[in-house]
Amino acid sequence: METTKTLNSSVLDVRNISVSFGGVKPVQDVSFTIKENSFTSVIGPNGAGKTSLFNLLSGMNKVSSGEIIFMGEAIHSIHAHKIAQKGLVRTFQGAKVIRRLTVAENLMMAVKGNPGDNLLGFFNPRARKSFEVKAREEAMRRLDQVGLTKFADEYAGILSGGQRKLLDLSRALMADPKMLLLDEPFAGVNPTLVEKLLTVLAALRKEQSITFLLIEHDLETVMNISDRVIVMADGKIIADGLPKSIYENDLVIDAYLGSRRKDS
Amino acid sequence: MSDFIQYFFNGLVVGCIFAIAAVGISLLYSVLRLVNFAAGDFLTLGAFITYFLSVTLELNFLLSVVVSMIAGMAISWFLELVLWRNLRRNKAGTLALFLVATGVALMLRPIIQFIFGTETRKFNIDILKTYDFLGARIPQTQLLVLIFASASILTIALFIAKARIGKDMRAYANNPGLASVSGINVDRVVLATWLISGALGSLAGVFQGLVQGQFNNAMGESLLLSFFAAVVLGTIGDAYGALAGGLLLGLIMELSQLSIFFGGVPSNYKPVVAFATLVLVLLFKPEGIFGYRARKV
Amino acid sequence: MEAFIQPGFWIFVLALAGIYGIFSLGLQIQYGVGGIMNFGHVGMMAVSGYTIAVLVIKYEWSFWWAALAGVILAAFLGALLGLTTLRLSGDYFAIASIAFAEIVRYWILNTDNVTGGTQGTLAIPSPNGFASYTDKPDVILTWISDRLYPIIGDEASRDLSMVLIVWPFFGLFIWLSSRLQKTSWARVLRATREDDDVPRSLGKNVFRFRLQTLIIGSVFGGLAGVFWSVQFALLAPEDFLRIVTFYGWMILILAGATRVKGLFVAAIFFGFLYGATRFLEFWPLSLLSSPERAYLRVFLIGLVIVLLMVKRPQGLFGKRQEMILE
Ligand SMILES: Nc1ncnc2c1ncn2[C@@H]1O[C@H](COP(=O)(O)OP(=O)(O)O)[C@@H](O)[C@H]1O
Ligand SMILES: [Mg+2]
Repeated sequence: METTKTLNSSVLDVRNISVSFGGVKPVQDVSFTIKENSFTSVIGPNGAGKTSLFNLLSGMNKVSSGEIIFMGEAIHSIHAHKIAQKGLVRTFQGAKVIRRLTVAENLMMAVKGNPGDNLLGFFNPRARKSFEVKAREEAMRRLDQVGLTKFADEYAGILSGGQRKLLDLSRALMADPKMLLLDEPFAGVNPTLVEKLLTVLAALRKEQSITFLLIEHDLETVMNISDRVIVMADGKIIADGLPKSIYENDLVIDAYLGSRRKDS
Repeated sequence: MSDFIQYFFNGLVVGCIFAIAAVGISLLYSVLRLVNFAAGDFLTLGAFITYFLSVTLELNFLLSVVVSMIAGMAISWFLELVLWRNLRRNKAGTLALFLVATGVALMLRPIIQFIFGTETRKFNIDILKTYDFLGARIPQTQLLVLIFASASILTIALFIAKARIGKDMRAYANNPGLASVSGINVDRVVLATWLISGALGSLAGVFQGLVQGQFNNAMGESLLLSFFAAVVLGTIGDAYGALAGGLLLGLIMELSQLSIFFGGVPSNYKPVVAFATLVLVLLFKPEGIFGYRARKV
Repeated sequence: MEAFIQPGFWIFVLALAGIYGIFSLGLQIQYGVGGIMNFGHVGMMAVSGYTIAVLVIKYEWSFWWAALAGVILAAFLGALLGLTTLRLSGDYFAIASIAFAEIVRYWILNTDNVTGGTQGTLAIPSPNGFASYTDKPDVILTWISDRLYPIIGDEASRDLSMVLIVWPFFGLFIWLSSRLQKTSWARVLRATREDDDVPRSLGKNVFRFRLQTLIIGSVFGGLAGVFWSVQFALLAPEDFLRIVTFYGWMILILAGATRVKGLFVAAIFFGFLYGATRFLEFWPLSLLSSPERAYLRVFLIGLVIVLLMVKRPQGLFGKRQEMILE
């Protein structure tokens, strides 16, 4: 009984993954395990390989070696869209929105199992329409959550940088994720909005039992919300532990935090 | 054996011409992200202008070639000023660039036809004189084309490697953003690229006209895809690669006629060999022989 | 000026517009929805037209079955093109698609004993020595003109019967495809047009979506080939040169790539351009011989394409806003 419980409680199991492009090796022999419904932050200087790591986890790039197990299934050699369908959903650094779709359409696109996504669904307009109505309702609910309701029918291209991040996050949520990979969701967002986003994430974690893995540049921002912090530098994990222990870790201070702390 | 020498020689000649045309296309792509669909018609234009000057006006042949190269440069420059510059300023997308290049080709072709007519033309050069080399028939014109074309290729390679503007072109192609903040004059680089490709287009057209013996206004257009094949084979955007790709494609096309390959590809299928090479490279090694596969992020 | 007021001229314009409108609709779905730049579309029309001619003349199939086979083969060719090269990025795919169509044309050109080679379908070897394939549709066309003759007299031509058949189909196809473009399927495709990674990260099989559009577009290319082969009753390799694809592109960008219904107007404009450079006799056209006018046509098509892309990239009916959102 005990053992099954611990096995089940690991959602993501990353085993010795590496990737290389030509001579560049952005991720080298990285391993870690993520527990169900946990909140883990990945920090590290620019170019540390954090985004590259996400590209591997989400299947956008293929690992050169190593394994990735998500909910008991090996996902390192399957297509990105299949990984997302299994519930491992990511967002992008700098927030990608589809500029020439409306804000609501951006969200509605993400819904799973839409009969209208299938060509055969064309011949079943009834099912298509009722699904669209539901998708729109859910989209409006999500937009309300992040305060974008009034932009619902505008092109997403008119949104500001911060608003795009909100849209990107809401869209990932529309895809019904079990685990979310968020790539620097707070960069360039004003502090009050960051606070608000943090509460939204905490609520999601509680209410929908989503597991979070989040990239952030700045440790302070995620100190309180994270129950674990992984530090990367030069493609490797250099520290991994409780936020507090990371804050006091000499290696991390040297590699990354040192200069910053002296500044402030 | 003599068959092999014959096809190998032919392949070298054709390959040199491909190389010269391909390097112009590749440079334009690396600097402007433009796939120049009009490149073929610039060959035709070069051949016809040279014909007009050297046959109709009875000017010296070399002088005619030089003037036709200058004409190719002038037209390219004109198009840069009235078209391409504006498109860049308007941030035109890939499709716009594709279609405008095609539109230019579509306009150029009737202009050539209108001015020079549709008859088959021949340069005033003895194309019948041939040498015998180990059983292979080597026409004098082809030998001359080979010599002059190799010299041109060396010049181009040296120019890109050593000349100031050549270096600027490579720097700009590698990183446009960095190049423009580090003091490279972008307009000058773009202009130089157009001038080079215009001159090379005319030159390749004359060579092709000489090799074919006679030519009409469809000459360049029918070669366009072979040039693209050479460009892709040598890694799109890589100037040296285009030179090598051109040579290689020329050899592939000619040597495919050797009877050891499925009894030899019939010569009217030569263009298909080029298309097939293009498709196969795109399928199995789209990054070309010199590129490494940059993964999508 | 006379030809201008002759109904026969305008009827030809409309027949052509319908056929090339359907052709262009294929490109519209591929590019306007899926962002796929297919420059080898003419290959689909060639394949379906030639399939009909060969099956009817050489193998004595009924026209209707042959037409079905032609459209299926065009779809199949679209699938083949997609499966082999659609994973390539835009530039590469565009070049590969041209090569694909050229291979088709070379094959037609050099397989005399099947396709008639340079001489066209007239030279297809036929068991009964009769190299025509339009007998079945001709029955219908004649039936229509026989009905019309008592009403409008000599204007009841084969072209007019073609217009009466092609345009309802054109309308139907536009209607179907504008419905299709309102589905969530099309929404995913419009997203892939801008950025593949977003739909992929949301669990959409981008390749499947794009392959489907390519095939649907190819079906329209094939259908255009069916009508084309009936209209001209004779096919030759030079009818399927690279430029024909750009006839379709001109129509598309004139309408505005995302404006399906704009195709009606744009196709008529093309039909007029084509017909005018072929039949109109007034000055200054009267100064040109017929081959010269063919050049003029090519020139004008090039000019329209260039002017549109420089001055009005969104086309007649597109929204400027869609083009400039960054
Ligand atoms: N597709 C790729 N090809 C080549 N190099 C890459 C690729 N993706 C990432 N890199 C390199 O990997 C390194 C890490 O980048 P990245 O993962 O974006 O860092 P971070 O997100 O931590 O700032 C960088 O040096 C980058 O240039
Ligand atoms: Mg990053």
